[in-house]
Amino acid sequence: MPHVISRTPRMAQSGHPSGLPTDRNIPPSVTRVIVKTAGKQEEFMIADNILVSQFKEKLSAHFKCQMDQLVLVFMGRLLKDHDTLGQRGILDGHTIHLVIKSKHRSRSLAHSSQNLLTKDPCHRDRNTKGNNNGVYQPADVSHTPVESALPMDPDVPKVQTQDLEMDSPECIEQMLQNPSIQQLLSNLGLMRQFISEHPDMQQWMQQNPEVSHLLENSEILRQTLELARNLAMIQEIMQIEQPEQTIEHPLSPQSYSDLETMPGGDNALDQSSADCNNHMLNSLQDPFGGNPFTALLGGHVLEPAQSSPPSPPQPQKRQDQLPQLPTTRVIYTSSRGLSSNTSANVDPNKVSHTSSASTTAISTEGWSHNCAIQQPDGVPALPSIELTQQPQGEDKDTTISLNSSDQKLEGDPQLSDEQTSSQITGSMMQLLLNNPYLAAQMMLFITMPQLSEQCRQQLPTFLQQTELSDTLLALANPRASQAILQIEQGLQLLATEAPVLLPWVAPYLWGLGWLPSPSCS
Amino acid sequence: MEPPNLYPVKLYVYDLSKGLARRLSPIMLGKQLEGIWHTSIVVHKDEFFFGSGGISSCPPGGTLLGPPDSVVDVGSTEVTEELFLEYLSSLGESLFRSVLQTFLTMYRSEAYNLFEHNCNTFTNEVAQFLTGRKIPSYITDLPSEILSTPFGQALRPLLDSIQIQPPGGSAVGRPNGQS
Repeated sequence: MPHVISRTPRMAQSGHPSGLPTDRNIPPSVTRVIVKTAGKQEEFMIADNILVSQFKEKLSAHFKCQMDQLVLVFMGRLLKDHDTLGQRGILDGHTIHLVIKSKHRSRSLAHSSQNLLTKDPCHRDRNTKGNNNGVYQPADVSHTPVESALPMDPDVPKVQTQDLEMDSPECIEQMLQNPSIQQLLSNLGLMRQFISEHPDMQQWMQQNPEVSHLLENSEILRQTLELARNLAMIQEIMQIEQPEQTIEHPLSPQSYSDLETMPGGDNALDQSSADCNNHMLNSLQDPFGGNPFTALLGGHVLEPAQSSPPSPPQPQKRQDQLPQLPTTRVIYTSSRGLSSNTSANVDPNKVSHTSSASTTAISTEGWSHNCAIQQPDGVPALPSIELTQQPQGEDKDTTISLNSSDQKLEGDPQLSDEQTSSQITGSMMQLLLNNPYLAAQMMLFITMPQLSEQCRQQLPTFLQQTELSDTLLALANPRASQAILQIEQGLQLLATEAPVLLPWVAPYLWGLGWLPSPSCS
Repeated sequence: MEPPNLYPVKLYVYDLSKGLARRLSPIMLGKQLEGIWHTSIVVHKDEFFFGSGGISSCPPGGTLLGPPDSVVDVGSTEVTEELFLEYLSSLGESLFRSVLQTFLTMYRSEAYNLFEHNCNTFTNEVAQFLTGRKIPSYITDLPSEILSTPFGQALRPLLDSIQIQPPGGSAVGRPNGQS
C-alpha cells in the first residue's frame, strides 16, 4: 500500500504545512516526510520501508545528538525502532514530530552512583516527572535530603547534600548490585579517598583526630566495617557470655568488673542516652545488678544478633557466637576503656596494633575508642560505632589477642563500657541518621548478601527518617531508646519462647534485622 | 510487545467573553461570533496553555476561568508525561536549541500575539504533536474572522496589545529557560 501510494503523485495535501505537490520525479519508493521539532521543521527524503531506527540514525546525524535522545511521534503514537515508516502509515508529506530529549535530565545510574558514594543515597522518592503543577524540575535538582552536616550538630539537620538522583531504595539497590560499583566500592583506597575528601567528613575529622587515624589504616577500616556488621553478633555474644559465665575467658572477669563500674561511671557521662546505656550495662551485668531493664537490655543486645558472615543469619546464633566472643570481649573492653571519659585521645592505632590476631576486634576497638572518646559529643561517637555495625564478609575469624585488650583495659579507667555499647546500639541509629552517606558508604563494603540486603533495605528507611528532625529528636530521647530496646527485647523473648509467632511480627523483625526482608530489587 | 499506554487528550475551550461575544458581535462586528475562544490542552491530568506568560500548566479547570465551556476530545496519545514535558520545554525555549533559526521561536512569552500566535496556536500545535489531529477550525479561524471585519481592522492595534494570561497556572519550562 504505501509503495503504491508513493508512486502516485499527490497534489497539495490539505492540512499539512508543506502542502507542496509531490514531485513526480521522486522515485517511487522514496517518501518525503516532514520532521517537526521544537519549533522548526525540516523535510527528509527517505525510503518508504526504512526502519525507524535507521531513520533515527539519519536524524541523529542531522540534529547532532544521540539516537537514544530521539523520540519520534506520529499521530500521537511513539515510533518504535523496529517499525518501518510504512507500517505506521507514514505517507508522503506526513509530519512526524521529533522530541530531542536532553541528556542531563535523564537519570543515569552512573552519575548517581558517583553521587551515592559521597552523598546521601536515598531519600524521598521524587520522580523525574514534574509535579502535577506542571512545573518542570530536572530530576537532579529536585532532591534535597535532610542531613546534619556535622556530627557535632545532631539536632539541627541541615540539608546540604548535593543533588542526588538516587531517590528510591530500589534505585540504590540496583546500583549497589551493580558489580562494577561493588568493585569500585571495595577498592579501599578509593573509598578512603572519598570519605576523606567529603567536606563533612573532613570537618568531623578535624574535630576528632582519631577518625583520621582510623581512616588512614585501611585495615582498621575494613575491620571496622566487619565489626559494625558483626556488632549485633557481638552483642549477642555479650549476652551469651553472661549466662555462660565464660570464666575461662581471660577477659571475662575483667569485662565484668568493668561492667560493674559502669553504673557508677555512668553518671559521669552526661548523655541523653545515659539511661539507655545504664540499662544496657545492667543487662550485661545481669548477675551483678538487679536493674529491671536488665532483661530489656539483654534482649536488646541479643536482638541484632547475627551470625558471623560465613554462616547465614539465624536467631539461634549463640553457638556461632562463641568464636566471636573474643571479638566482643575486646570490643567492649576496649570501648569501656575508652568510655572512660579520659578525653585523652586514645590512639586507636595503638590498640589496633597491639592486637596481633584478627583485626576485626582491633578495628572495633579502634572504633569504639572513638566512640568513647566522642561520647561527650554524642553524635560523633556514633559514626565509628556505626561503621562497626556494617556487616562485612571478610575476616571473620575473630581470634582477638586478649592480651592487647587486657592492656587496654587495665590502662583505662573504666566507665561506661556499657554506655559505649549502648551507644553502639542506641546511638548507632542516630549516627546512621546523621551521616547517612557514611552509612551508605559502609554499606558498600558489605559482602554478605543477606545482611547487606537487610541493611540496604533498612537504610533507606533510616535515611528517609533522617529528614524528619523530630525523628532525630525522638531518638535522642532516652525513653524512646528504651522503648526501642523493649521492643527488641520482646522480640527476643518471643523468638525464644514461641518462635511460631514470629511471622506475626515479621515486619518488625525485618526492621530489626532478624529476618531477611523479602527482596525488593 | 506490551500495548502502549494511551492517554486521552482533551481540548478545553473557554469563552473569554462569557457570552458577550455572541450577543454583541453581530452589532459590533457585523458577523456572528460565538465566542472568544481560549483553549488549553488537557493530558496526563494536567492542563497546558499558552498565554502572555508563556506555556503554563495547572490542574484541569484550575485557571481563573473556571471550568471550560466545552470540552473537545482530540484523541489519544502514547506520549508519556515525561516526554511531553520535554517537548513543551523545547517549545518554550527553542531559541537556545535551534541552530538554524535566528528569530525568536514559537512559544516564549514574548512571542505571544493575540491574533497570530496565541493560545489556540499553541493548542493546535500540541494537539498535532500528541495525536496528529488538529483542533476544530472554528477556534483557529477566529482571529482571521475578526480581522476580516472593519471593526477588527480598526481595533487591531489595540487588540494586538492585549495579552491574555489566565491566572492560576504555573510555568512550564526548563529552570533556566524562559517561562
